[in-house]
Amino acid sequence: MIATRFWIRWRRFKSALGWTLSGAAFLALAVAMIQILFYVFAKGFKSLTFKLFTENTIGVGGGLKNAILGTLLLSGTAMILAALVGVAAGLYLSEYGEGRMGSLTRFLSDVLVGVPSIVLGFVGYVTLTVWLRWRFSLAAGAITLAVLMLPYIVRSTELALRRVASGIRESAYALGCRDHQVVFKVLLKAAAPGIGTGILLALAISAGETAPLLYTAGWSNYGWSGRLIHEPVAYLTYVIWSFIGEPFHSAHALAYAAAFLITALILLINLIARLLIATSPHGNR
Amino acid sequence: MWFRRLLSAFALLVPLVLVLIAIFLISYAWPAIRFNRLDFLLHDTWNIGNQYANPIVRRGATIMPGASFGIFFLVAGTLGSALIGLLIAFPLGLGAALFLSEAVPRRLGHLVSFFVELLAAIPSVVFGLWGIVFLVPLLSHHVYPILAETLSFLPFFRRPTGSGYGLLTSGLILSLMIVPFIAATLRDALASQSHAMREAGISLGATRFEVATRILLPGQKAALAGATMLAFGRALGETMAVLMVSGNALNYLPQNIYSPISTMAAFIVAQLDSALADPTGMAVRSLAEIAVLLLLISLLINGLARFMIGTLKEHTL
Amino acid sequence: MPCSSSHRLFARSCLILLAACLIGSPLRSSQAKTVHMIETGSTLLYPLFNLWVPVYTASHTNVRITTEATGSGTGIAQAAARLVQLGASDAYLSPALTHLHPGLLNIPLAISSQMVNYNLPGLNDRPLRLSGPVLAGIYTGRIRYWDAPAIRALNPGVPLPHHLILPIHRSDGSGDTFIFTQYLSFSAPSWMRTTAYGTTVSWPPVRNGMGATGNPGMVQALDTNPYAIAYIGVSYRSAILKDHLGQALLENRAGHFVSLTAAHVMAAVRARVNATPPNQAISLVYAPGAESYPIINYEYVVVEKHQPNPSLALSVRQFLDWAISAQGGNAPSFLNRVGFVPLPPRAIRQSEKQISEIR
Repeated sequence: MIATRFWIRWRRFKSALGWTLSGAAFLALAVAMIQILFYVFAKGFKSLTFKLFTENTIGVGGGLKNAILGTLLLSGTAMILAALVGVAAGLYLSEYGEGRMGSLTRFLSDVLVGVPSIVLGFVGYVTLTVWLRWRFSLAAGAITLAVLMLPYIVRSTELALRRVASGIRESAYALGCRDHQVVFKVLLKAAAPGIGTGILLALAISAGETAPLLYTAGWSNYGWSGRLIHEPVAYLTYVIWSFIGEPFHSAHALAYAAAFLITALILLINLIARLLIATSPHGNR
Repeated sequence: MWFRRLLSAFALLVPLVLVLIAIFLISYAWPAIRFNRLDFLLHDTWNIGNQYANPIVRRGATIMPGASFGIFFLVAGTLGSALIGLLIAFPLGLGAALFLSEAVPRRLGHLVSFFVELLAAIPSVVFGLWGIVFLVPLLSHHVYPILAETLSFLPFFRRPTGSGYGLLTSGLILSLMIVPFIAATLRDALASQSHAMREAGISLGATRFEVATRILLPGQKAALAGATMLAFGRALGETMAVLMVSGNALNYLPQNIYSPISTMAAFIVAQLDSALADPTGMAVRSLAEIAVLLLLISLLINGLARFMIGTLKEHTL
Repeated sequence: MPCSSSHRLFARSCLILLAACLIGSPLRSSQAKTVHMIETGSTLLYPLFNLWVPVYTASHTNVRITTEATGSGTGIAQAAARLVQLGASDAYLSPALTHLHPGLLNIPLAISSQMVNYNLPGLNDRPLRLSGPVLAGIYTGRIRYWDAPAIRALNPGVPLPHHLILPIHRSDGSGDTFIFTQYLSFSAPSWMRTTAYGTTVSWPPVRNGMGATGNPGMVQALDTNPYAIAYIGVSYRSAILKDHLGQALLENRAGHFVSLTAAHVMAAVRARVNATPPNQAISLVYAPGAESYPIINYEYVVVEKHQPNPSLALSVRQFLDWAISAQGGNAPSFLNRVGFVPLPPRAIRQSEKQISEIR
């Protein structure tokens, strides 16, 4: 009897210890997250000025207008390219991709997710920038980013479409709809929040990337003048990486401000993406 | 039918892009692969040669005198930092997921885990910035000296504690970057478990912790192993954050846990500059060989992960 | 359900196609008059370019110049590949590169120098005397302690500590490494035989040795590691002074120990400028003369002789002529802020000659 009681106590103690440890693990992560956000926001907030949004970068001083617009331009262009191809490919995988080709595409798209972004940047540099003589340009940067975003959009589109009940498809076909009509009038509408979330999350990832752009988009102290090739484009993550290594206060202030802006932008996109899926009738996450 | 064909053409683009990248990289790196042979992986001297001498011909390739391309130190740095990252991230992710899905009210758990999993959304370069201005000074001035003092009986923890840029710092940052993959996978897997399982466990007299670890967790081994594998893959290929806090060691193996290191992905960014100056082009082609290696690793890791968990879920993307 | 009309789908496909075409075609709007130049390369020249560009573009409103700190190797390579117009480099073009790209010019814009710094608690106010062979010994691991006989012999009466030396080197490709290893190579034949010089060299493995990235990384590594030694570009002198780190007197070719002052740098320039060949590819390191500071170098801009169009060539020529002139870019108001020294008249004439070849 005493032995049993002791045994139960021992087990209770172990459980309490277990919860304490896992609670501590959670706490460690939460503290790290809060610390990073606090640090980036506190440092960035101090460096925020009106000038950041109205002036271009001059050397390691000035504003960030060129970089803010450049980041939006690069990621936006890449998103359009990747969404066009990615949603179509996701549709194929979910609707007709049961065979060999489907599973191979799925596998290779997962592999593409795992390819380090600098590898894409290296290939982009040698092929687009040098070989095609596009030099540092919007086209080279955006295409490299689009390749990076593509597999995310393909797989999230596929998963979103798979959540659409098959009854809906069957009734559409029964009403005499053709393939493309089923897709455009029924499936895409039903899965829109899921697909939109996937595209937004891919956009967030691309906006935070640095390595694929270093040797494809280059850097520019000026705003984009409308040329697809032969004109480098500025972007925020470059400022963080490059300016924090300069021995000037103005450079550090710009780096902190850029970190603040890009982190805020990415958190905002993530928040919108989550709200989109949470408020949609079909979203079940 | 035309519509299906159109879609399949788009779908074909995805594998096509990967195959083109692979073919391009391998053919571009081919002269280096032939010249470096197995020395590439086994030696740890990366030297682009004397740039101010005249090119010479060796093993059928034109190179600068003294050039040799061995990346064993990069393999060591890459594996070392990724393993340390995983060793820290695994218990953290496991504990946090257990805590948030089993010990906290469901709604709160969802909200809080969304917050913690946002760690995965923070850009690599922001992690690097935080590492340089906050983590490195903190670790080198306060944490590492104490660590070296208290753990001096362990061989790899002894002094010198270095500049704060190095193996352990890289591992720590990597762990924060990959922990959301592990935590999110496990949390979703636990959430999908039926209430009946939990109730059955409780009615048998098990504590909630025992239910979680003895009944719920064992069924999720495959998912957990797959997510861990993918997280490891991420850590191996991480570029900017590691570049900023690793110390970018060239040609030497880590002497202890604080030693500066470099990783394969970070090395491509760090050395493309010098390599481009090599008139024979062998240095850039050897960097391409590193890229080929990273591509192979990604293929291998995904193959293994798929073998473990079948197809990938959304949050592991 | 109106599943009969496919007009909207058709319209949508057309739109998508149109968008694809728009994105696919190089949209070359002729921005006519404005000329956009890109400068990339040396991190040591970067601060100077950043001082120059706002002033220059303010008076030349049709010119835009983007500046980037990427490293000398990138500067040379991207100028050679014609990705950029101005490649900045701390090192002159190698013979092999010149052979490969006969159209490339290396044109000196200013003169830079390098400090050897150390962190010896209690001794940082006292300038230690160091020589090339002693530094070579430290960086190969043959001289391991601060109170080694070789260092004591150069510094009689200095209470050197019995402590391991931590040699710090640049782990990224760098012009600083180039001129530092040249100093070692020219003054210590054994270093020339084993390691030689370059923007990256295969550093001998030294216990306690460490790598750091960029000059800021060097300053920080030195600051946080007592008993360390490092080589750092002169632009970072204020950071060294702020952190109260030591700065060595270096032995020159004549056997004198000299400090890094503008006068000693000018003395070294005077000693070498007459030997400079028309293509200006020359090392200024370890110059003869009793007063010469041993580690100095020309800061080069690497330019392709044949520009794609005359207006771009004209803009490049005008900017470079301004940069090397004493009233323009070589004015003390610019150079003093980065610790550089202006080009002597003969070097200016040579640079002007090279600039005039840009067409």
